[in-house]
Amino acid sequence: MVFIVIVIICFLLQMIAPWWIIIVVAFATCGIIGKTGKIAFWHSFFAICLLWIGYSLFKSLPNDNLLASRVAVMTGVKLWWALLLVTGILSGLVAGISGYCGYQFRMAMLAKKTDDKIA
Amino acid sequence: MNKLKAIFCIIIPISLAFLFNTKIGSAPPVLKFLNPFMGFWQNAENNHFMFNHKVKIKGALDQVEIVFDDKMIPHIFAQNDHDLYLAQGYVTAMHRLWQMDFQTRFAAGRISEVVVSEPARESDRYQRRMGMVYGAENSLEGMMADPKSKEMILAYTEGINAYIKTLSHANYPLEYKILDFKPENWTPLKCALLLKQMSAILAMGSDEFYMTNILKKFGPEITKNLFPDYPFKEDPIIPVGTKWNFTPLPIPKTPESFTASQTGDVRTKEKVEGIGSNNWALSGSKTASGYPILANDPHLELSLPSIWYQIQLHAPGINTYGVSLPGAPGIIIGFNQRIAWGVTNVAADVLDFYQIKFKDSSHNEYWYNNKWNKTTKRLEVIKIRGSKDLIDTVYYTHQGPVVYLQKANFVKANSVPVGDALRWIAHDRSNELMTFYYLNRGKNYNDYRKALTYYTAPAQNFVFASVDNDIAITPNGKFPLKWKNQGKFILDGTDPAYDWHGWIPASQNPTVKNPPRGFVSSANQSSTDQTYPYYLNWEFSPYERGKRINDRLTTMNKATLDSIRLMQTDNYSILAQNLIPAVIPLLNPENLNATQKEALSYLTKWNKRYDANEIAASIFEIWTKRLAFDIWDDEFTVKGVPMRYPSRDRTVEMILKEPAAKWYDNVNTSQKETLSDLVNESFKYSCDSLERRFGPINKDWSWSNVKQSNVPHLAKIPGFGSKVLQIGGAKSTINALSETNGPSWRMVIELGKNPKGHGVYPGGQSGNPGSKFYDNMLDTWASGQLYDLFYMQTPDDQSGKVISRLKISK
Repeated sequence: MVFIVIVIICFLLQMIAPWWIIIVVAFATCGIIGKTGKIAFWHSFFAICLLWIGYSLFKSLPNDNLLASRVAVMTGVKLWWALLLVTGILSGLVAGISGYCGYQFRMAMLAKKTDDKIA
Repeated sequence: MNKLKAIFCIIIPISLAFLFNTKIGSAPPVLKFLNPFMGFWQNAENNHFMFNHKVKIKGALDQVEIVFDDKMIPHIFAQNDHDLYLAQGYVTAMHRLWQMDFQTRFAAGRISEVVVSEPARESDRYQRRMGMVYGAENSLEGMMADPKSKEMILAYTEGINAYIKTLSHANYPLEYKILDFKPENWTPLKCALLLKQMSAILAMGSDEFYMTNILKKFGPEITKNLFPDYPFKEDPIIPVGTKWNFTPLPIPKTPESFTASQTGDVRTKEKVEGIGSNNWALSGSKTASGYPILANDPHLELSLPSIWYQIQLHAPGINTYGVSLPGAPGIIIGFNQRIAWGVTNVAADVLDFYQIKFKDSSHNEYWYNNKWNKTTKRLEVIKIRGSKDLIDTVYYTHQGPVVYLQKANFVKANSVPVGDALRWIAHDRSNELMTFYYLNRGKNYNDYRKALTYYTAPAQNFVFASVDNDIAITPNGKFPLKWKNQGKFILDGTDPAYDWHGWIPASQNPTVKNPPRGFVSSANQSSTDQTYPYYLNWEFSPYERGKRINDRLTTMNKATLDSIRLMQTDNYSILAQNLIPAVIPLLNPENLNATQKEALSYLTKWNKRYDANEIAASIFEIWTKRLAFDIWDDEFTVKGVPMRYPSRDRTVEMILKEPAAKWYDNVNTSQKETLSDLVNESFKYSCDSLERRFGPINKDWSWSNVKQSNVPHLAKIPGFGSKVLQIGGAKSTINALSETNGPSWRMVIELGKNPKGHGVYPGGQSGNPGSKFYDNMLDTWASGQLYDLFYMQTPDDQSGKVISRLKISK
C-alpha cells in the first residue's frame, strides 16, 4: 500500500515539484499509513528507487544511453548502467530514510500523547 | 525522550534534502542532478523521432518557416530582415544557449559568478583590466548608431530571449545543471562582448614586453639581427611586385628617444605559433568548370560545442549560407547565389603598451606632453558566487587602461608589462556587423569592397570570389598609421610622438584583384612585400603554409572540388623540406645507438609528410623543437627577465647560412659547442624521449599517437570532449592540426549558375552532449571529407533531406 501510494503521488508531483518532494511524500505517507518501521523504509526505498530508474530509462533508452554514458565518464562511475544504479539506490535510500523517519515521528507523537494521558 | 526522537525524525530528512540539493566543490547538487524528472536525464534527446513544432513570438512581424536538414542545420525563410535575425537568435539559442552564455560571461569577466576558484577570479580581473567590457560598450554604441545593425542586434536579442522564456528547469541545457546556475536574459552588449572576444583570441598577442627586455639585454644590433623586420623566406599574400595605385599619406616621424621598461618575474617561453588559417580562391581559368572555387579553413583552439554554427538565411534581398558565431547575427564565412568569401587572421600590430609616469602612488595624474594629466577611474565590480563582491579599480590614461599595477599571478598576464597603459584597437567604437550585413547580400566585387570599409577588428584577410569570375584578397581592418617598428617595443607614454597618428585609409589597405597568376591565397604570412608604404607589423606567421599553398595552386589546372579538398588536408612540411637536407649530414652515425640508427633510416626515407602513421614525423618534430631550445635557451632564459626566442624563420636562416654563429655555443658550459654538436644532441634527445615513452621503435611512435589530437569540451568537462583522433597534420602544414588547435571549419565553394557549397566542422549543430547532433560531423572531418551543403531556394526545396520544421508566428 505504502509503495503504491508513494509511486503514484511522487510520479504526479515530480512533474512540477523539485526532487526533494520525494522526502516530503515518503515522510507523510509513512507518517500516516506506515504499519511498521521495516515497511516504512523498504516500501519507500523501492517505490522511489524503481520510479527513478524507470523514468530514467524512459528518457535514456530512446537516446541509446548516449548522454548517460558521457555523464558516467564525468562522474567517474564509467558505465551508464552504474550511473542508473547510483540514481536508483541514492534516491531510494533518501526516500527510505525519510519514510522511516516519518513512521518513527508518528510513533513518537503517539507515545507522547499516551504519556500525556497517563500523566 | 520522545520529543527528542520526534525532532530527530524531522531534522534528518531536512538535512538530507539540504545535503543533496547543494553544490559541494565542483560536484553538482547530487540528487537535483540525478533526478530523472528535472535533472540531467531530461537532456537525453530522442535519437529516433523528430517532431515539427510551432511557436508564437510576440515580436515577430510575420510568419517564419525554419527547416532542419538531416544534420540539424536550420534553413530560415522569413519575410523581412527583422524576423530573419529574430529566428536566427531563436534557433541558435535552442542549440547553443549555454555556450553563448558562458563565452560572453567569460569575455565580460563574470565567470566567478558561477565558478568559484582562484584562476576564475584572476581570469575575470584580467578580462576587466584589459578593458573588454569598456571595448564592448564602445563597440555597441557603434552598432546601435546604424539603423540596419541596430535592427539586426535587437531582433537577434529578442529571438534569444523568446527562447529562454520557453525554458523551465527540466529543459535547461546540461551544463547549467552541472555548474548549478540559471540562464539569464540576453542583451545587445553580449553580442558586442562576443565579437570583442574574437578580437581577444586573434589580436591580443603582444611581444613588446619580451622584445623590450631583449633590447635591453642584447642591444639594438643583435636585436635587429635576430629579430629582423622582414622574414628570410617569405611568399606574401599580395603577390610580390603588385603595384600600389594610391598616393600614401605622410608617414609619422620616428621619435629619437627610445625607452625600456621594468621587468617582472616570468620564464621565457618558446614562441608558440599563433592562431592561423588558410584561404584561397582560384579564378575560372584554373578550374574545370570555368567558374571560381573558393576555400577557407580558419584554425582555432577547437572545442565542443563547435565554435561555429551553420545556418542558411533567406528573406527578400538575401539568401546566404555559411557559418555564424553563436552570439552574433549574420554569417561570417559563407556564400550566396553570386559570391563567396572567407577570412584568415592578419597579425597586424594593433595593440601597444605605453610606459606611464605617474605623479604618485595614487595614480590620479600622469606625465604626458610636458604636463600632469588626470587619469580616469573605472570601477569593476566582480560578483563572486557565495561571497562578497570584489571591487577592482582600473586607471585609464588617454591611451587606455593601465592593465596591471602589480604583477598578477596569471598565465595570460605574463606578457603584460606592469604599470603600462594599453592602446588596443578593440577598445574603439566599431561596427563589424555591417561588413557581414553587406557581404551576406553582396552581388559583386564592388559590394565586397564596400562591405570591407566597415570593418575594424580583428583584422582579417578577406578572400573573395564571384560568379563574374572576379577573385580578390584584402588584408583588412582599421590599421593605425605608425612609424616603422612603432610598437615593436614598449612605447614612451609621456611623449605625443609615440601616440597613434590616425589611420591608414581603408581604400589603401593592401589588396589585389584578379592577379595574373590566377589565384589569391593567405595563410597568415606577411601581407605584402617590402614596397608597401605603411607599417603593419614587423613579424607575421611563418611562411611555410602559404608557400605550400602557392606552390600547389601554381601547378594546378582544371581544379575540381576534390583537388581543393585534398589540398586542405595536405600534410607536406616545407619546414622539413628546408631543414632535412641541412641537418641530416651533420649527424654522426658512429655515435648513434641501435634505436637512433633505425630512427635515422626512417628519416632519410621520409616523404616529409606529417601523415598519421609517419614515425619520422614524430622524430623530426621533437628533434627540431629541441634544437631550437638548445640554440636559444641558454641566452634567452634569464630568471626575472621574460623574453622570447627568435622566430623559426630566423632559426632556419641561421642553420642554413651561418654555420659559425656564436649562438650555437652553450654559454653555461666551458667547452665550445658547434651546430653539429647541438644537432646530434637534439636528435638523440628526440629518439631517447620517444623510446622512454613507447619502447623501441614500433607503431606507437607514429605521429598521430604522439600528437594525440582531440576536441575537448569548452569547460573541459571530462567525458564531454571527443576521443583521441588518429589523424595527421601539424602546425606548419596546410592541414594545421596540432593537439587541440586546428581547422575549426573547412569550406569549399564552387561558384556557378547554381553555387555548390561543401563544408564540415569538428562537432555538430547541437551544443547538447545528450544529442546525436553534438559530434556527428567529427568523423567526417577527421577523415578529411566534406558534406554537400544544402542551399535551399524555397522551404519546400526537395534537393536535400528534411527532418523537422519549426514555424514561428506572432
